[in-house]
Amino acid sequence: MSAPTPLRPGLASAFTAVYSVLLRSQVKTGRLLGLGALAVVALLLGAVAGTGDDPLGDGNQVIGGFGLAVVVPVGALLIAASTLGDLAEDRTLLYFTMRPMPRWVIAVAAWFAALTVTIPAVAVPLVFSSLLTGQGAVVAGSTLSALVGVIAYCGLFLWLGLVVSRALIWGLAYILIWEGFVASAGAGLARLAIRSYTRSLLTWQTDVELTLADRSPFWSVVIPIAVGAVAVALTARSLGRRDID
Amino acid sequence: MSGPMVEVDSVSKWFGDLVAVSDVSFTVGPGVTALLGPNGAGKSTLLRLLTGQATPSSGSVRVLGGDPRADEAVRAQVGVLPQQEQLFEHLRAERFVEIAAILQGVPDPLDAARRALAQVEMDPDDTRRVQTYSKGMRQRVKLAQAIVHEPRVVFLDEPLTGLDPRQRAHLVDLMHGLGARGVCVLVSSHVLEEVERFGSDIVVIAQGRLAAQGDFHGIRALMDDRPMRVRLRSDQPSKLAGGLLDQGVVVGLQLGDDGEVVIDTEDAGAFARTVAVVARERDVRLDEVVPLDDDLESVFRYLVDPR
Repeated sequence: MSAPTPLRPGLASAFTAVYSVLLRSQVKTGRLLGLGALAVVALLLGAVAGTGDDPLGDGNQVIGGFGLAVVVPVGALLIAASTLGDLAEDRTLLYFTMRPMPRWVIAVAAWFAALTVTIPAVAVPLVFSSLLTGQGAVVAGSTLSALVGVIAYCGLFLWLGLVVSRALIWGLAYILIWEGFVASAGAGLARLAIRSYTRSLLTWQTDVELTLADRSPFWSVVIPIAVGAVAVALTARSLGRRDID
Repeated sequence: MSGPMVEVDSVSKWFGDLVAVSDVSFTVGPGVTALLGPNGAGKSTLLRLLTGQATPSSGSVRVLGGDPRADEAVRAQVGVLPQQEQLFEHLRAERFVEIAAILQGVPDPLDAARRALAQVEMDPDDTRRVQTYSKGMRQRVKLAQAIVHEPRVVFLDEPLTGLDPRQRAHLVDLMHGLGARGVCVLVSSHVLEEVERFGSDIVVIAQGRLAAQGDFHGIRALMDDRPMRVRLRSDQPSKLAGGLLDQGVVVGLQLGDDGEVVIDTEDAGAFARTVAVVARERDVRLDEVVPLDDDLESVFRYLVDPR
């Protein structure tokens, strides 16, 4: 038997195929209900802030204190941690990993799939919430900070979902304990929290001061995106190294 | 390709304290080869090593001369039917197999998917999602995705599970067809009778170790000729036992109640040929002949450690 030249998928077609499977697998009732609940609360708080005496300050507090602290990270966790984590758990991940394509294609496609769902599910409600405050600066700040936050958190939780079981619990612990408590203890530790950068972007746009939100706009964009990208690289590395069940 | 297509060299795999595969070496060439062993013997772990889904703790595996984990060119020529049932549940079978074809770089993936599904007797136009499929249908879809790119090496982990007899016969024919075309088909099973239908070459794994490799009939004979304990029941057990001792086909015996005799023999074949003759010659009625250690586990145990 002669040895034919082995077939290889094109990177674009492989990416599209993996992306389409992962995108469709995100549509699950419980997950959508959780995201919907977060969106409704954000909208309600935005509406309340818009009717107060200081809509700019109140809007800033709603987006900075709830939107960027809870809606963005928890929404990203719900989506991104399960994007590859569910496949690892039900052992269907091998239908990707046994194919002749680089592992980074799987990781990047998974990141994009998570972003595709998380941005409309998380960032859009936050933008609408800020619209209800009637303050253009809050709208601009929430849009930019939510997008940057989603990019970072999706990468981070994509990796977490692959490397640990019970990623939701670990992710919530990171959001609540690390970002919400430990990293709030001082300016030095705050550098290690994504929230610090997204809040800095909001402050930059609104000129309303938030605690531990004094990073430069440039680094507030670059560092979270770099965190997301590094986490995706770690995801690809993990896909190449771990044993697949 | 004339040499071995699959090479396993001194491979061990352990998970913490658990040794799943221990110092296993064998080679496999074109055609159908059965990987036989009881549940938990290490067959699936071995297949995961061969498909690059896991790395050996020591030793090496080579498929088509390359490392299946690191070498994309190897993975391009390998098809895998994994043991687990889960598929991408929200997809239709045609799309599931098409995705496999796309990821294997098949030029016309939709057409290839439809042909592969037809090969396993599945309807490519079925509009149902695979989450509604029975176990047998899932097995066939899994086989379709494993062969959609016409691989040179196919690993099948318990592929006949959940299939009805007609489907089993069809899939066995399909495997033989692949083997006849020079494809290396390594198919695992824990059912001895099932393996008999796959072909003459088998690799026997037990307790994570290589128990035997070679021609099925030779290994089957080895299995049949192992020391055995057999319970006989007769109307004159002492007379029967004496006759068997005279013939030299038993190495030990115990007389029990109700006409029972339990004998040990080192030559099950000779014993089987002799016992009825002795009973007839001595005018003894033979009521029962029951092998006491004829389960597959004891057969495998013997192959691993004949003492």
